[in-house]
Amino acid sequence: MSNVRDLLGVAFSGLTAKPTRTLLIMLGPIIGVSAIVAAVGLTESAKGDLQQTLSELGTNLIKAEAAGSFGTQDPTFPEDVVIRVEALSTVESATAVINLSGIVTSPYAAADSYYTAFPIPVIAADSAFLDVMDIAMVSGRWINGFDDATAGRAAVIGSGLADEFAYIPGTERTISIGGFKYGVVGVMDRVVLEPNLDNAVVISPEAADRDFDSGLEATTLYVRSDPEQTLVTEDALPVAINLGGNDEVNTSVPTDALESAAAADTTLQAIVALMGGLALIVGGVGIANVMSISVIQRSSEIGIRRALGHGRGLIAWQFMLESVVVGLMGGIVGAGVGALVVTFVSRTRGWVVVLNPGLLLMGVVAAVGVSVVAGLYPSTKAARLEPLETLRLG
Amino acid sequence: MTSEHLLELDHVSRIYGEEVEVHALDSVSLTIDAGEFVSIVGPSGSGKSTMLGLLGLLDLPSRGELRVSGLPVSEMTDAQRSRLRGDVVGFVFQQFHLIPYLDARRNVETALLYRGLSPTHRREMAMDALDRFSLADRAGHRPVQLSGGEQQRVAIARAIVTDPDLILADEPTGALDSTNAANVMEIFRGLHSPDRAVAIVTHDPLVAASAGRRISMRDGRIVADEQVEPVGRTSTSGGTLGDTSGPT
Ligand SMILES: Nc1ncnc2c1ncn2[C@@H]1O[C@H](COP(=O)(O)OP(=O)(O)O)[C@@H](O)[C@H]1O
Ligand SMILES: [Mg+2]
Repeated sequence: MSNVRDLLGVAFSGLTAKPTRTLLIMLGPIIGVSAIVAAVGLTESAKGDLQQTLSELGTNLIKAEAAGSFGTQDPTFPEDVVIRVEALSTVESATAVINLSGIVTSPYAAADSYYTAFPIPVIAADSAFLDVMDIAMVSGRWINGFDDATAGRAAVIGSGLADEFAYIPGTERTISIGGFKYGVVGVMDRVVLEPNLDNAVVISPEAADRDFDSGLEATTLYVRSDPEQTLVTEDALPVAINLGGNDEVNTSVPTDALESAAAADTTLQAIVALMGGLALIVGGVGIANVMSISVIQRSSEIGIRRALGHGRGLIAWQFMLESVVVGLMGGIVGAGVGALVVTFVSRTRGWVVVLNPGLLLMGVVAAVGVSVVAGLYPSTKAARLEPLETLRLG
Repeated sequence: MTSEHLLELDHVSRIYGEEVEVHALDSVSLTIDAGEFVSIVGPSGSGKSTMLGLLGLLDLPSRGELRVSGLPVSEMTDAQRSRLRGDVVGFVFQQFHLIPYLDARRNVETALLYRGLSPTHRREMAMDALDRFSLADRAGHRPVQLSGGEQQRVAIARAIVTDPDLILADEPTGALDSTNAANVMEIFRGLHSPDRAVAIVTHDPLVAASAGRRISMRDGRIVADEQVEPVGRTSTSGGTLGDTSGPT
């Protein structure tokens, strides 16, 4: 044990003899480890942020679109589609909507020609849609039964469309939908899982059928599943909807798209981490190189130590420890720098900082590992030196 | 064959080179006993340093056997040989050979490493050794801040701090001016004791004369190994090959 203490003392005094050189070879592990820690830490923080977003949104929303049998024009679901899917035990709630096509919506009838070229989606949905999609209202209210009972023409618009139409919340305003004047009763907030809604207008199915003869057959279905059974539900939906028919149903889980988008975002981080690994290896080569030169420069010191009774093993350990101390210190500083970068970037992006202590430890261990490999050549070289050849007796 | 000599060279050869062999030492037999004061003389290239390296276990014989207290060195591992070297031998070199980045005290302490000593104890021992050669006030100086004579005295302090059985010195005054040389030689005359043998390669006739035994070498062989009387008296030993020492 006291040998280890003595060796550490010797390694430290060897390193502090040339502090600039020591700091320079420490740069390799510092850069390498900080890049790895920063890249992985940021990926994890981003992932943590996504996880939080997903848990807020719920990963149990399934979207199903009618595809019909091959070649069908404007495919639709059967009229009782909601009843059919709600019969599934893993379905919590469901809502069917009709995506109306060929209906021009514009702030006023005179602007129709422009909005024919750039159509605004018109969706017929009931109040179950509000619950299933978890829509928040920026202002006003959703379409209610009173609107229908009184044959009123009420519309809810997305917040993006409200901006585009310069709608001031709370004011009375009509817009032109397929030539009919609809009153705007509410503005809905952005819906992360269905971004199209931001620029869409929603009316009630009754109004759609009355004014545009849409029928009551839905084109799109949104289903909330038992969160543990989302995949099972997704698989079961086509059968439940068609009851043995051969119409096709396209199903998707919108949160999957978020996850894969986030996964694509991590490519950059992966590259940075890879380059950090590369920097660590290059840093290791640097340590090996500088230490080998140092062994030659210090050959007479090695001869002296041998003459004083230090065996080859102790000489090898001395230089190995110098290398390891460089790796350890560089690794610790690098992990600290990396942690600072993760904290700073996460804070500026409003993420919760995810810093796994295991990651920091891994970074330090990697630097020490590299330094051990780097120290192998110089230390064996030092141990092999013949004392008499380095000492040149008189 | 009597064992228990401190050191024993038994027909030892040291051959350098492979194609052209240089017999730096040619079948030399020699014993050194505890407490002896031996001077080694001979022209340059006669094998003095080679023999000193072998006596100090820094080198291994090409042929023959080297024994320490009767134990053959050829059967030891490097670690055992190193340990023995650290315990038994103290070296003093012509070029001082201090570690340049360590101060005087730490240079002396280097001889005390890996012996299970506490840092405090080590420091005290080193300071005592430095103090013995009036170097206590130089303890914090690095070699470049010391004169040649001071450096050599630090090296001597380092050699004796482990209390070795044998001091080996290879022309210890060779790099010093005459005043410092005389000073260092004075120290060497006082180093040997019944417990501590001293073997010194030297051209200094005064030191050679104050040693009780003189070994003369030429061409890798011992040509004379004689007991000598203290300075001023005539030699009474059986060596008859004449004065083989000379300037190099
Ligand atoms: N490493 C070596 N390689 C080859 N020859 C050597 C080596 N060391 C010493 N010699 C040769 O061995 C002989 C003895 O050298 P040395 O012991 O240094 O003599 P001295 O110390 O008496 O001057 C010389 O001829 C020298 O050239
Ligand atoms: Mg010599």
